[in-house]
Amino acid sequence: MRVHRRPMRGPWKRALASVGLVGLLLGTAACGGGGDDGNGDVEAGAQSETVEAGDPVEGGEITVGLEAETNSWLPGEGTFNQPGVNVAYALYDPLMHRTEDGAVEPYLAESMEPNADLSEWTLKLRPDVQFHDGTPLNAQALKTIFDEYLTRPGSNVAASVADVTSLDVVDDLTVVYRLKETNAAFPDNLVAAAGWPFSPTAAAAAGPDAGANPVGTGPFKFVSWQRDSRLELEKNENYWQEGLPHLDKITFRPIPDEDTRLSSLQSGDIDVMQSLRQSTVIKARELDGVTNFEHLGSNSGGSTMNVSRPPFDDVRVRQALAHAMDQEALIEVLGGAGVTPLQTQFFSPDSPYYSEKLEESYPEHNVEKAQELYDEYINDPDRSDGKPVGSPISFTFTCPPDPSLNELSQLYQAFFNVLGAEVELEQKEQAAWIQDMLARDYDMGCTRVGADRDPYIVFSQAFTEGPLNMTAFQSPEIDEQLEILRTTTDVEERKAAVEAIGEVLNENVPNTYSGGTLTVMAARDVVRNLDGWVFPDDTKGNGAASAQVMWGHVWTTE
Amino acid sequence: MYVLRRLPSLLATLFAVSLLTFLMTSLLPGDPALQILGAENATPEAIAAVRADLGLDDPLPVRYLHWIGDALTGDFGRSYRTNEPVSEAIIDRLPVTAEIGILAIIIALLVAIPVGMLSAYRAGTRTDKLISSTSFGLLAVPNFMVAIFLILIFAVWLGVLPATGWVNFTDNPVQNLRSALLPALSLAIAEMAVYTRLLRTDMIGTLQQDFVTMARVKGVSNRRILFRHALRPSSFSLMTVAGVQVGAIIGGSVVIETLFALPGVGRLLLEAVLVRDLLMVQGVALVIAVSYVVVNFTVDILYSYLDPRISHGRSAARV
Repeated sequence: MRVHRRPMRGPWKRALASVGLVGLLLGTAACGGGGDDGNGDVEAGAQSETVEAGDPVEGGEITVGLEAETNSWLPGEGTFNQPGVNVAYALYDPLMHRTEDGAVEPYLAESMEPNADLSEWTLKLRPDVQFHDGTPLNAQALKTIFDEYLTRPGSNVAASVADVTSLDVVDDLTVVYRLKETNAAFPDNLVAAAGWPFSPTAAAAAGPDAGANPVGTGPFKFVSWQRDSRLELEKNENYWQEGLPHLDKITFRPIPDEDTRLSSLQSGDIDVMQSLRQSTVIKARELDGVTNFEHLGSNSGGSTMNVSRPPFDDVRVRQALAHAMDQEALIEVLGGAGVTPLQTQFFSPDSPYYSEKLEESYPEHNVEKAQELYDEYINDPDRSDGKPVGSPISFTFTCPPDPSLNELSQLYQAFFNVLGAEVELEQKEQAAWIQDMLARDYDMGCTRVGADRDPYIVFSQAFTEGPLNMTAFQSPEIDEQLEILRTTTDVEERKAAVEAIGEVLNENVPNTYSGGTLTVMAARDVVRNLDGWVFPDDTKGNGAASAQVMWGHVWTTE
Repeated sequence: MYVLRRLPSLLATLFAVSLLTFLMTSLLPGDPALQILGAENATPEAIAAVRADLGLDDPLPVRYLHWIGDALTGDFGRSYRTNEPVSEAIIDRLPVTAEIGILAIIIALLVAIPVGMLSAYRAGTRTDKLISSTSFGLLAVPNFMVAIFLILIFAVWLGVLPATGWVNFTDNPVQNLRSALLPALSLAIAEMAVYTRLLRTDMIGTLQQDFVTMARVKGVSNRRILFRHALRPSSFSLMTVAGVQVGAIIGGSVVIETLFALPGVGRLLLEAVLVRDLLMVQGVALVIAVSYVVVNFTVDILYSYLDPRISHGRSAARV
C-alpha cells in the first residue's frame, strides 16, 4: 500500500489536469486514457508519506465515486469487479479476508479449520450475528445459500465452489465444506462473492428482484438504489463488531468517465473516488487536499500467444517476440510512464508472492537476441508453420477497440516488424474477443494477466487442461508445483512453488507483460482510515488493496 | 384523414425497425451466456443450461415472434444481466433522456431564433459574419469536449453546478434542473449552430419576397415584420431539421449521459450492448426508434399549422 500526497503548484495546471485538458491540449488521446499527460516531473514509484488517521470520529456521511455500476448485488448473480466489491464490503462481510501478509484468515467466520489432508474445511460462525432483516446468521443459512444460490444453474460463482461436493451442517453455528480433493487454497474462495452471506429469507421473498434488494450482515444497510445513479446505505445499528461502523451514511455513485469522476472529486460532489487507470492516478496525485491510497495490483497488461498454433508452438518464436518488446514504451502508451514498474511475473511487487528472482529471468528488451531467435526459427527446415525456409512468420494480433489499445497494438506491430514478421492488426470487441480466446481461436493479442487471488487458483486456471487456459500452455513442471500449492498451507513452501512456476513461464513465455495495474482510492483529506482496517482479533488487514475498502472502518472528520 | 392515411406506412416502418433491431443484436458475435456466467464458470454444460433457459437455441424466426409478440403486450422480458424487467428499466430512464433532450432543444431554439433572425436581417454585415463563423466553430467542437469545458467552468472553477450526477424531479425540482443544465447545454451547443444557420438561410429568402416588401412599404415596423410576418414561413427547414436532429440528440445522449453519469436511456443502451444483454438492447432500440418516428410524424402534422396552405390534402401527399 502506498499513500501519496502531493503539494499542488498552480490552480491552472491543477484544474486542467483534472479534466484531462493537459492531455487534450498536447494532442493525445481524448478518451481511453492513453498518452503522456505532460507530467514529466512525476517520480517513479509512489512516495510514501503516512497520513495520520488520528482517532475515529463517529457520524457523518460520505459519497464515493466508482468507475462502474454493478448489475446485481446478489452473490451468484452479480458480477463483482472492483467497484462492486467496494459496495459489497459495506453491505456484506466476507467470511474470510486477507491479512497484510497475504494470509487468508476468518473475518465474519470465527474460525476455519481443515482436516489433516485439507479436503474438509470446518467453518464456525460467531454467535448472535444477524442479517439486516433480523434473520440469524447460522449454519442453516449458509447451507441454503450454498444449495439454492451459489450452485444453481447460471451462478457466476460456480467455479469457486465447484470443488465442494457438499456443505453439511454440523451444529447451529458450524458447517463443513467437503471437497472433492485436497485443496489448501479453498478458504481464498470465501474472500469473494461465494463467501458473502446474505439473508436467505429476504432473497427468497424478493425472488427475481433479490439482486436489487440486498440484505447482508455488513456495517451498512440498504436504503435505496437507482441504477447507474446512486446507491444509498445507512449505518447498521446492530452491527456485530462493537464500535463499528463510524459513518452514519454512505452513498455510492457510478461515474464511468475518468475525467468527470475526477472533476466530481475536485468540485466536492464526491468525497472519495476509485480508479484503476494509471493516467488518473497521476492526475489525482496533483490534487490539493486529496490523499491517494494506491496499490499496485497483480493484474497486468500484456499479450497472450496461442501455443496450440504455429508459429507460437515453437518456444523460439515466443522468446523472440518477448525480447522484441520494449515494456517501458508499452507502459508509456498506457499512460503509466514513471509510475508503473515493469511487470515480470504473475504477482506484483505489492503482493506477498512477488519474487525478485523472476525480475531477472523475464526476457529483457533485446532486439539482437530477438533477431537471433527469430532467424533461427525461420531458417529451420523443420519450422512448425510449414513455410519455406527464410520466409517471414505471419500472424494476426487482436485487441479490443479502445483508443489506447489501438496505439498499443500498433506499437506491438512495430516491435514485431523490426524482426521481419508480418503482423496483421485486428480489432475485436471485448465480448467476442474473450470468446475467441476461450475457444483458442486466435493467434496473439492483448490480454490481462494475473489476479490478486491465491496462486493455486490463478495458475490452475491458467495452465492446466481447463477452459481458462487461453494460451493452451501446459508443462509437467508446473503441474508438479501446482500439486505443492494444492496440498500445503505453508507460506514459504508455497512462495517457492510460485517462484518455480514463474521460472517455467519466463523460460517459455506463453504470455508477456507490460506493467501492473496501479489502482487508487483518492480521498479528500477529511476521509480517514481507508486502508487501516483490522480483523476482529486486531490482525492488520490488507489495506485498500486493488482500490477495495472496508467501509465499516472508515470515518470522516467533517 | 391524413393521420389515418399515414398509419400503414408508420406501422410498416416500426415493423422494419423491430426486425432490424432484432437481427442486428442477434447476429452480434459474443455469446450472452458467456457474459452472464463469466469466463471461469462457463463450462459447456453451464453455457448450454443458460442458453436453453434464455431460449437462445431456438431458431431466429421463433425467437423474433416470441419477442415481438410479448413486446406488443408491453412485456419486453427481463434483462439477462440485471434481471430487472426491460420495460421498467426503460420507463425509469426515459424521463432522464427526454428531459435532457427537450431542454437541449429549448435552449437551442431560444438562442437560435433571435440570433438566426438577426443574422438574416443583417445579412452580409460584420454581425452576420461573426455569427456565421461562431456557428461553424461550435459545429466543429464535439459534444464531449463541450461537456468537459462546461464542467471545468461551472463545476470546478465557479462551483455553481454539480459536475456529475442526477436528482429526480420528484425528489427535488430545483436540484433536478441544476443536474440537467450542463448536460442539456452540452447537447444544445451543436444544435443551436445548426438551427441558426438554417433559419438565417430561409429567412433571407423570405425577406426578399413581395409580401415583405409590401409590409415595408406600408410602414410596418421591422420587429413586426420579422416576428409576425417572416418567422413563420421561414421555419420549415428548422422544424424538419429539429425533428431529424432528435436522432442526433439521442445519439449524443449516449456520450453525454456517460460523461455526466446520468441514469438515462443512452447509458443503459451502451452498457447493454457491451455485455450482450440482447433483450435490453432490443427493447431500448425499439423505444428509441418509435420515439424518433413519432416525433417526425408530429413534425409532419405541424407543417399544416405553420402554413395553412398545406392541408395534407392531395397536393401535399405528392410532395
